[in-house]
Amino acid sequence: MSKAVPEVIDTTQERLDERMPLVLGNNTYGSITDIVSHVAERREVPIAWYVAFGISASVMAMFFALIGYLIMTGTGVWGNQNPVFWGWPIVNFVFWVGIGHAGTLISAILFLFRQNWRTSINRFAEAMTIFAVVCAATFPGIHVGRMWGAYWLFPYPNTMDLWPNFRSPLLWDVFAVGTYALTSLMFWYMGLIPDLATFRDRAKGKIRQIAYGIFSLGWTGSARQWHRYEVAYMLMAALAAPLVLSVHTIVSFDFAVSQLPGWHTTIFPPYFVAGAIFSGFAMVVTLMVPARQWFGLKDIVTMRHLENMNKIILVTGSMVGYAYAMEFFIAWYGGNGYESFAFVNRMFGPYWWAYWIMVSCNVISPQLFWFKRMRTSIPLMFIVCIFVNVGMWFERFVITVTSLSRDFLPASWGYFAPTWTDLGMLIGSFGLFFTLFLLFCRFLPVVAMAEVKSVMPRKHSH
Amino acid sequence: MSNKVELPDDDLKMSGAARNIFLIAGATGVLALVCSLALTLAGDAEARSLFQFSYLQNLMFCLSISIGALFFVIMQHLSRAGWSVAVRRIAEILMAALLPMSILILPILVLVLSGDSTLYKWNKPFEELDALLQGKVGYLNANFFVIRVAIYFIVWAIVARFFFKKSLEQDQTGNKELTLKMQAISAPSTLLFALTVTFAAVDLIMTLDAHWFSTMFGVYFFAGCMTSFFSTMILLTGYLQANGKLVKSITIEHYHDYGKYLFGFVFFWSYIAFSQYMLIWYASIPEETGWFDIRQNNGWEYISLMLIFFHFMVPFLWLITKKTRRRKPLLTAAAILLLIMHWIDLYWLIIPEYSHGASPHFGVIDLCNMLGILGIYIASLAKIASNCYLIPIQDPRLGESLAFENH
Repeated sequence: MSKAVPEVIDTTQERLDERMPLVLGNNTYGSITDIVSHVAERREVPIAWYVAFGISASVMAMFFALIGYLIMTGTGVWGNQNPVFWGWPIVNFVFWVGIGHAGTLISAILFLFRQNWRTSINRFAEAMTIFAVVCAATFPGIHVGRMWGAYWLFPYPNTMDLWPNFRSPLLWDVFAVGTYALTSLMFWYMGLIPDLATFRDRAKGKIRQIAYGIFSLGWTGSARQWHRYEVAYMLMAALAAPLVLSVHTIVSFDFAVSQLPGWHTTIFPPYFVAGAIFSGFAMVVTLMVPARQWFGLKDIVTMRHLENMNKIILVTGSMVGYAYAMEFFIAWYGGNGYESFAFVNRMFGPYWWAYWIMVSCNVISPQLFWFKRMRTSIPLMFIVCIFVNVGMWFERFVITVTSLSRDFLPASWGYFAPTWTDLGMLIGSFGLFFTLFLLFCRFLPVVAMAEVKSVMPRKHSH
Repeated sequence: MSNKVELPDDDLKMSGAARNIFLIAGATGVLALVCSLALTLAGDAEARSLFQFSYLQNLMFCLSISIGALFFVIMQHLSRAGWSVAVRRIAEILMAALLPMSILILPILVLVLSGDSTLYKWNKPFEELDALLQGKVGYLNANFFVIRVAIYFIVWAIVARFFFKKSLEQDQTGNKELTLKMQAISAPSTLLFALTVTFAAVDLIMTLDAHWFSTMFGVYFFAGCMTSFFSTMILLTGYLQANGKLVKSITIEHYHDYGKYLFGFVFFWSYIAFSQYMLIWYASIPEETGWFDIRQNNGWEYISLMLIFFHFMVPFLWLITKKTRRRKPLLTAAAILLLIMHWIDLYWLIIPEYSHGASPHFGVIDLCNMLGILGIYIASLAKIASNCYLIPIQDPRLGESLAFENH
């Protein structure tokens, strides 16, 4: 007789003689399907979803209206002004690209490192990645000035004899972010196929049946299909792993190839990558904490999953702290007066408040996660992760604005102030993000069911 | 249920072989160092200068392998890894060599304290320094330098000793709590590791040219430590198995994981090296490009190109497929190549500061120093290995590691 698994076990406690189960409760393959499918299948959609969707969609509409206003009026509606020509649009761009890093890290790098716990959260994080990249791509798209010509960024033979300048890191961004978006989308979609087939098979209505039927590409779950699927998954993971590094590396090049003090420093590439993963995980935790509650996913996304993510936040947050420290040390050690001025100016100059928000949110607040009690406390991790999100936005603000506003010529110094359009667009981009996200939660499997089953004990399978 | 893992019938101790290696490598090492010292004392100032630089380079080579091992051991505990238990003792032996090797740093510290500025040009009287270096004396002065370097070595020694001692203690007592203890200490150890290795790289190598600076330098050195460490692991495991040790406990699956890590760190090293070079080249600020300038002229360009081809492209393509990572001879070839390239990488980092624009020239003193320090390093490893099991026989996760398969 097999013993029943006790209902409540604390999997955050380490046991040495056996590995802890990743899924809790007396769940079977069938019950996992039921729990996850229920989120998208239920007839009576909770009123809260409609409220949330209504708010997000309105905010998104405001975003699009502001973009329309920008196109009609010109970039003067932003606070971008001599000498700070890169204002909030670029800050928002870097912020959102950073958010979009957790998904691919979880699905590619943690896969290669055989971190099975990732199966409960990868779908969620990958979806978030794609929506964040959509938000990110919007900002440089509308920042180019005459955005109706933005497609000139792509090198294609044309009668105008126009060819992009490949020496510009901004062009590298087009390729880096484009490749990343495409790969993440393919990876995400490929992972969805078996689960979409499950939805198709369970669908009650005709429309659902046809829609899920089309997107599940005739998946039957035969051994041959699974074999192909797993080979493809491995290859996609291997391809996506360097992309986790490349995107934010190229974004960091936007700044670091210049000669501007505070921008030109060699640690930027890995520092930006660590920061991106840091902010990405913070966003996953921020969204996962309420989601697992509302969707009844607590057995699948357990405290151990949250704790692991918090540990990654602690590690990457400390890496970011390391990079800040190295920058400061070398700014002094290098003996370059402009460089050391830039850093003192960050701390005590006109934007001192932004700098100290950044340091307290990014470096100090995650240090709480050294303590187990802190990183397993739901309210605390939620607060810390919000702090991290705020801090990482301010990091990009500090880098972009403080350096530009104090360049080599004191006569051209200036103080950047955002306009209401800037603020509206930042808020609006969250509307876009959450609208996409709520649609995802409503119509697609929020957890990779097939993958979760592959890491469950086989005890219940027969 | 018994928690005792059934070890395969396997040879788990070095026994007599270690003694022979200790004697032969030790004798070769000491003899070579004596030769090198004699040549130096007989030679001119040039020779005395070369001796110091090549001594530092070879010492850093051996240290970097052990530093990589220290990181590996810390990470295995931090991530509660199962696959690596069977190979962890080999890494622990490499890590434990930090203690004896730290003695070899003492001559450099004594020279710096005595005011010698052959290696470190900033170690001159204040009035002889240029304005830039005068601005750095708060950091770059003999006393503070020696204190800092001593701290790095003491921290490494303490951390390495802790993990080694606890692991050996578990061999004896089988106390599982020790695993939890090591896991608890592994987290703060990462912080200590990051800070000490960064600043050791900055102090011992980067300040050879005290005008040049790069925030990436510590990461670059770390990347080299890891490629050389995994190469050494492949070679050491292969050597032990060729001599009938651990033949059944370590399987091709473990080699496959070595191969993945080696591939990963080849990529990481290339990424860091490229980023550092590209950013400096692109911005083209003279105070930064000068450092690369002397490494791109007078024959040094060939060494730079060698790094691109043989520390990056060839091993990258070589290790990209499972077919090479799962075949011991092919994996060993990559390990040998990368270990040589790591040595050349350190040569490229350190020796141009000696030759100052002159062409690279590998002479007898270089050779003797290499044999000398490498000999002492190998002797230390043999000495450490002679007293312990080659596998953590009582680790609670040993069973998982023995049964480990990639899939």
